[in-house]
Amino acid sequence: MTLAETQALVHQAITSGTEPARGRIEGCIADTPTLSSHECVEVYANMYLWRLVDALRETFPNLSKHLGDGAFAGLAEDYVRRHPSEHHDIGQMGKLLPAFLREYPDPERPDLADLAELEWARNEVFFAPDGPAMDEQVFNSIPAAKLASLRLQLVPSVRVLRLAHDATDLWRRLENGEPPGPSMNARATAVVWRRDFQVFHCNVSLREGEALRAARAGGTLGEVCACFEGSPEPASEAFTAISSWLVERWLEGSGDAEFRSEASTLGAAPARLS
Amino acid sequence: MAFQRLGLGHGIGLRTKHFGQFESQPSPVEWVEVVTENFMAQGGRPIALLEKVRRDTPVVLHGVSLSIGSIEPLSTRYLDDLARLVDRIQPAMVTDHLCWGTWCGRYLHDLLPLPYTEESLVHVTARVEAVQERLGCQVLLENPSAYMAYRDSTMTEWEFLAELSRRADCGILLDVNNVYVSAHNLGFDPIDYLDGIPADRVGQFHLAGHSNKGKFLLDTHDAPVPEPVWCLYREALRRFGHVATLVEWDDRIPPLAEVVAESRRAEAIEAEELGPVLRRLAS
Repeated sequence: MTLAETQALVHQAITSGTEPARGRIEGCIADTPTLSSHECVEVYANMYLWRLVDALRETFPNLSKHLGDGAFAGLAEDYVRRHPSEHHDIGQMGKLLPAFLREYPDPERPDLADLAELEWARNEVFFAPDGPAMDEQVFNSIPAAKLASLRLQLVPSVRVLRLAHDATDLWRRLENGEPPGPSMNARATAVVWRRDFQVFHCNVSLREGEALRAARAGGTLGEVCACFEGSPEPASEAFTAISSWLVERWLEGSGDAEFRSEASTLGAAPARLS
Repeated sequence: MAFQRLGLGHGIGLRTKHFGQFESQPSPVEWVEVVTENFMAQGGRPIALLEKVRRDTPVVLHGVSLSIGSIEPLSTRYLDDLARLVDRIQPAMVTDHLCWGTWCGRYLHDLLPLPYTEESLVHVTARVEAVQERLGCQVLLENPSAYMAYRDSTMTEWEFLAELSRRADCGILLDVNNVYVSAHNLGFDPIDYLDGIPADRVGQFHLAGHSNKGKFLLDTHDAPVPEPVWCLYREALRRFGHVATLVEWDDRIPPLAEVVAESRRAEAIEAEELGPVLRRLAS
């Protein structure tokens, strides 16, 4: 048997979850003093599943808590069979789990896909590259005539999630060990970000969510502010939102370079978390 | 060609549970090892901590996903990420496993043994050379713990590893616990394994705990180093001399002090075994 044939056979035996042809395995794997060739392969097949299920449990701690060990393991096993790992980092294994849960939703808890999306975003943000944040004082020093055309961008460690259900409430309850409560069937926009090495998330209004997406797309300040049109006080709402983005360091600083020398000290805006 | 052994002393694995202590205190050991893939992300706490630790302490990058024995081409994406990390951290050593773990672009995240044949040897030698060329440094390959062996093998694992290190001019990371586990599972004498390994190629030892699953031993890294592995470590020291030694503890990880104590025990055993040799050299 060639090396390629051997690896094909062993891979199939370990990952398929079905009994490989006895004759083929016996022809490839030798019995050990205590294990038959089939038992040898079973050791690897079990380790394959356990390792991936454990990795998923680590990435989705509150989803796992909600479902319980047995149900989560069942879900994870179905997912692993459908979406084998294609990345050298086992931590990337859960990337498609939110989509998998949307494809096969739990009729009683359709919000679990959103919970998974929130937990995946928290995982991504934890490892996201650091980006230079826009300096609040530099921003405040930019001449008014130039502000509207200033291009914004979000730092790489910010995620803006469009959720079909408010998963942040479910996440908080599970995190605090409280009963999960009913599924919150309301659209929500959640922002996930990192301060130093700690990951945070919060809900924002749908308008602010649109504004953040405009900023993510590299829109100008004018285009970002236009997202607040239609609100009772668009200018005030836009000012409050963008001020808090600066405080939380969600805006990337590469666009403010030309204004850095003009920075002056103006009053600080309120933070999201205080 | 030669393999240059680095006298790093005694180290432990840097694991998430102990990040806080490594952030706030000097390293309690002479060097640390990290699982390469856990630090390939370009931002966040792990890489920031690693850069901080690296300023004062040698770091060894220990990979689990190189898949040096797989039949499919080496992953360019993986090698690019690894090269970037090597460039950023400047590790004392780059290590991985003598195994395969990918098939058709899919990762098993396991360290599967190879059939030890001339075909495998030629295949792996070429890939080790390619990796070393890409990284610009020698790599060390670790013997995996094994729960199966192939009928087609025409040589032992130690014969394969010895010949591979000679042909590819790479180093050997001798995992003493893995030798013990594989010997128990597959029914060979671990002393034969040690006797078959060329001393001038061994650059690092690993020590760890394992679990007895009744019909086989499982390499779990979730317990103290058991006495039979300490005994085998003494045998390894007598054959290979001073070698950088790491205590691995990856599951049910105890407080840092307990892992460090295990490393101190390795240091004490090394002194017991090699002290007389050093005194003779000094006189």
